[in-house]
Amino acid sequence: MNFKHIISEIEKTDPEVYERLSGRREMLGSFGSKVALAALPLALASMFKKAYGQSTDVVVNALNLALEFEFMQHTYYRQGTNTGSLIPAQDLPGFKIIESQEKAHVAFLEKVIAGLGGVAFRPKYYTASTTVHPYVPAAYDFTMGGKFTPFADYETFLTIAQVLEDTYIHAIHGQTETLQANNAVLSQVFALAAVEGRHAAYVRLRRRLAVGAAETPTPWIQNNIPPVPSLSFQKYYLGEDNTIQKSVDIQGLSNVYYANGAMPQVAATAAFDEPYTKENVMNLIAPFKKL
Amino acid sequence: MDINNIPAPMQEQENGPTYDVSRRRFFQMAGGLAGAGLLVASCRRTPPSDTYLGEGDIALLNYLYVLKQVTVAFYNQAVATTYYSATQSEIELQIELRDQELAHREFLKTLLGKNAVKTVTTQMAIVNFSDKTSFLTNAATLEDLSASAYAGVIRLLKDQSYILYLGKMSTVDARHAGYVRDILNHNSFASGMNVLDSNALNWVTSPAQGMAQLGNYLETRFDTSKLPTF
Repeated sequence: MNFKHIISEIEKTDPEVYERLSGRREMLGSFGSKVALAALPLALASMFKKAYGQSTDVVVNALNLALEFEFMQHTYYRQGTNTGSLIPAQDLPGFKIIESQEKAHVAFLEKVIAGLGGVAFRPKYYTASTTVHPYVPAAYDFTMGGKFTPFADYETFLTIAQVLEDTYIHAIHGQTETLQANNAVLSQVFALAAVEGRHAAYVRLRRRLAVGAAETPTPWIQNNIPPVPSLSFQKYYLGEDNTIQKSVDIQGLSNVYYANGAMPQVAATAAFDEPYTKENVMNLIAPFKKL
Repeated sequence: MDINNIPAPMQEQENGPTYDVSRRRFFQMAGGLAGAGLLVASCRRTPPSDTYLGEGDIALLNYLYVLKQVTVAFYNQAVATTYYSATQSEIELQIELRDQELAHREFLKTLLGKNAVKTVTTQMAIVNFSDKTSFLTNAATLEDLSASAYAGVIRLLKDQSYILYLGKMSTVDARHAGYVRDILNHNSFASGMNVLDSNALNWVTSPAQGMAQLGNYLETRFDTSKLPTF
């Protein structure tokens, strides 16, 4: 086990790690020779807990929520890219990119969580023989209880993908303020969320440009418009029609390009993605998980 | 031709960006003349004093505000002189891009209040708006910068009450980036030089790097000496 490597990894996310660990630094230097290797993980974890205190648990919880989404998304996309002719040839490279990036996110989050002395989230049924980390098909039911056939037709595959991407973005925004004690991790979570934004745009654009598409969503979320059937998906977009940001009425801002000089509601809502609480997102993803 | 009669570049009006159209018109007028280089040289204004960006959080928010002023001017020009071969979808969405950038710009301006920097003068000479590839390549540059700017700012910002709102804008700008990259080059929505890092996280641009990149689209020059950066 290379604990110096762990510290240097944390240093990347928290440049002040050595200061936080001050007084414990010499201890670090002497670890290799004097502490039994088996006792190392425990010793490290307790050291970090002391250094970061309460906030570490909050940060780990937030990162674990993100990790749960990454497992789910990676599994979804891998199942999709491995399903015969589900994805048209011209879009297959795009979905393979998304699949591999979600896998990289799993590895990244696991690394940061371990560095903080936390325990990384594992999906239910992780130990099933079908698991190929981080692909855990035994954990999920993407048909939402037999209602949908995402791996039988591309349109449905895109619909569920859109809902998963947008919900993940809502979930991250619900967690960013809990990361305020650690600006470095916060910055990385912003960077991670940006990649999910790119994925969401890609998926939504595929739906928009599909030949004979019944719906033409934009790459961003207009108002609180869900994909059809809205009865199933409206709750994944509640509150997205918010037009007040930090007490500023966005619709009240001037837009000289319109005759009435006002910001269209569509733009006011689409310009901001909204945060969902952890409780809300756990309820929203529950139908995708096996009991 | 008396150079004193050559119209001065159009100045920024309230909420209205300056376009390179005025420059283009200028060069068209000058085009027939020999010694145009001399003309240009003689028309060069004495360098105006640099605009002070502020310090600390104000400088960081002004940096985003300047970025948004540039993107609004960029998309407004694109809407006015849309590239040849644009589809109906692309025409609709570039109006939405402009409006969302404008919402961000005015939001930041409102938050900054009296600390907001003045309206900038943009300079879009490097963009050929009638050419799809030129427009989208520059759109990708600006949207990639937007998508990577917030993560840089949030690393340095002291006032935690902005975290949520900068985050809410950042994923929308990432959507923009994914979109313009994909119509420029299908399946390139999340790949390319300085777009993602080896952990598949979005690139993070430092405020100083961001201001430097914006310089390609700005005539206004900034004093960034107190801009926090890394």
